[in-house]
Amino acid sequence: MALQTAPVPPETRSAPPPRRSRWRERDKQTLTAWLFLAPSFIGFVIFTAGPVVAAGVISLLDWNLFSPPEFTGLENFARLGGDPTFWSALVNTAYFTLVSVPLTIVVSLALALLLNQGLRRVAAFRSLLLLPYATITVAVAFVWIWLYIPHGGMVNTALGWIGIDGPAWLVSDTWAMPALIVMSVWKSFGFGMVVFLAGLQAIPQQLYEAARIDGSSAWQSFRNVTLPMLSPAMFFVVVTSIIGSFQVFDQALIMTDGGPGTRTTTLVMYIYRTGFENYDQGYAAAQSLVLFAFIVVITAAQFRLQRRLVHYDN
Amino acid sequence: MSPSLSRRDLLRWAGVGGAAALLAGCASRPAGAATWSMWSSSPAEGKVWADFSTFVEQQMGVPSIPTLTSSNGYVTKLDLQLVSGTASLVTALNGWMLPTYAARGAHRPLDDLIANDPEFDIEDFYPDIRKISSFDGRTYAIGFDVAPTVLYCNKTIFDKHGIPMPSATEPMSWAQFRELAIEFSRPADQYGFSCAPAIDDLVSWLYCGGGNVMNEGATASALGSPESLAALEFVADLFVRDQATPPISNLVTVNALANFLEGNVAMMQNGPWQVVNARKAEFEWDIVPFPAGPAGSTPRVSGSGFAIPAGTSERDLPLAWTLLKALTSTAALDIYAKAGRNNPARFSAGSAFLPPPANLGIVQRILAGEVAGGHHYEVTTNWNQVRQLLGQDLPRSFLGQVSVREAVDGITPRLDALMAQHQDKVRQATERSR
Repeated sequence: MALQTAPVPPETRSAPPPRRSRWRERDKQTLTAWLFLAPSFIGFVIFTAGPVVAAGVISLLDWNLFSPPEFTGLENFARLGGDPTFWSALVNTAYFTLVSVPLTIVVSLALALLLNQGLRRVAAFRSLLLLPYATITVAVAFVWIWLYIPHGGMVNTALGWIGIDGPAWLVSDTWAMPALIVMSVWKSFGFGMVVFLAGLQAIPQQLYEAARIDGSSAWQSFRNVTLPMLSPAMFFVVVTSIIGSFQVFDQALIMTDGGPGTRTTTLVMYIYRTGFENYDQGYAAAQSLVLFAFIVVITAAQFRLQRRLVHYDN
Repeated sequence: MSPSLSRRDLLRWAGVGGAAALLAGCASRPAGAATWSMWSSSPAEGKVWADFSTFVEQQMGVPSIPTLTSSNGYVTKLDLQLVSGTASLVTALNGWMLPTYAARGAHRPLDDLIANDPEFDIEDFYPDIRKISSFDGRTYAIGFDVAPTVLYCNKTIFDKHGIPMPSATEPMSWAQFRELAIEFSRPADQYGFSCAPAIDDLVSWLYCGGGNVMNEGATASALGSPESLAALEFVADLFVRDQATPPISNLVTVNALANFLEGNVAMMQNGPWQVVNARKAEFEWDIVPFPAGPAGSTPRVSGSGFAIPAGTSERDLPLAWTLLKALTSTAALDIYAKAGRNNPARFSAGSAFLPPPANLGIVQRILAGEVAGGHHYEVTTNWNQVRQLLGQDLPRSFLGQVSVREAVDGITPRLDALMAQHQDKVRQATERSR
């Protein structure tokens, strides 16, 4: 059946709205947009931007929460230079980040590639592998404390089967931080895996076919097709992982309490202790601003690098 | 009226509910009610405080509203309430935290209230709890419990080895104690002694050895003194050289009581407040005085009290003082004693520690100075930082990673800096109170 369109009588054709009405319509749309944005914007101002500004002000004060605050200028920032625990916490946090982020990405990517091979029951595997990420850190930390028990713990028992006498992981100068890193990688790889899997499934198959016709090996396909096409997902995972690892706190607090010595004291843990256990709000705010500056600089550098390394087009 | 709820109605009611919740959250304490804060981490503790609350209502004729918080979250909640002006009229304070709060001006001195109240007899409180409740020469809290550290002994293990229990009145020497600890550690998976390598436990050895964390004026570290070093080395040797203690697998979860309750540890250092938990043991046990070092048997004596926040208005002050007196009265502390949780702070109150086991009565005798002795827990206005510092580096010598001397040498400059900071805080607090 052919469709016929009846001609519209000239009197019923809609005339272009007057300019004032168009503006009113546009104002209405803007208002609607702001209304939709408002909850998120208000939340951002109150819970993110506000505290950052407040931290800036508090960092210039000597304030114990109860006595009236005293203006001390940049003294809190000057204190950072002579505070060995702060530097130790900074080095520990950098160590944690430098090791845990690449490890997490390698494990996440490897598992995502495996799940992308068209395995049977892939949904079940995906859910199973995502479980550590979905479990609260406190519970995971307690389980890993048990795994790391030197005598009879599962880790050392397994090492014993291959003739290795495992250390006292959580009280060892050398092994406490690696132990935390392994636990953190196990806890967080699920997130990266899901992002990589989504990225892998969005890569057009014809690119692989073209590579195959050109005689590419599996490794060449991975290097020249998969990795470039996965670069937006990789960029996202790297940025979020680095920010997350700079803020590592709960697992270190529960598993080692920052010890032995200050071997696993992280920056956020030290900031928390300074502000809420030692009531030195100004100094804690100064430390948090330094951490904020580190994260901003590193993230900005990543965004700059992404222009060269990340490919958003197909 | 429409039977169904429209989306607009739902939003309106949600808004009203949210506003009401916000207002309720911001509300200050109820007027005329006796509000008080206390930590409580078990149903048994909760029952004691419920009984306290009933007692307060009977005594004062006003509603009693206790705010009970788990021990771990108590300080955080108290801080928030103090800062926001919503703290209870009376708040419980652990003795070692008192100088921290007093120096920050969070609680008010009570000397004027005590002096103007002829009914209140401060002399009825044990001297140690009065020292613990004071800062900079002023009384900031009235104690409700106080107790010395004692030595728990697994009588079953002593009997198995044919070794008589130590005397309940004459403390054994450190040498005798070490000999016993080594002897009991000979069988596999059995240990002579258990304590946490943390300053709260180690300080008893320091006091008995004639040492301390800081010097008398709290102006510098005293951990490097020969007495302190000898005391710390004595305990570290029990861990590292004699292997007389259960192996440390995790510094966060070291728990002397849990080790003792396993039944394979012959002796444990702890406070008598653990008697209530030790009663769950499936073996015979008893307590004896802490081993006597060069300075005698003078282990840590610790306690807690009730204090009045500095933000309490003049109008509420009489009610707060009456409430504080009710909570620390002999009758109230008898409730506490009957629950068997810890030793009440008053001479006139009953004992929480009645036999069996046979020696429990020594707790009050130690406090009264009739048996052995004790040393009130000396702390500074930044004790949390001191604990953190010592908790970071000192345990490494108990793991054999560094010697005690090396650990102390590393700690000393930072401990000296904390003592200087403490002096500043004391000076600021003194100036503020003028």
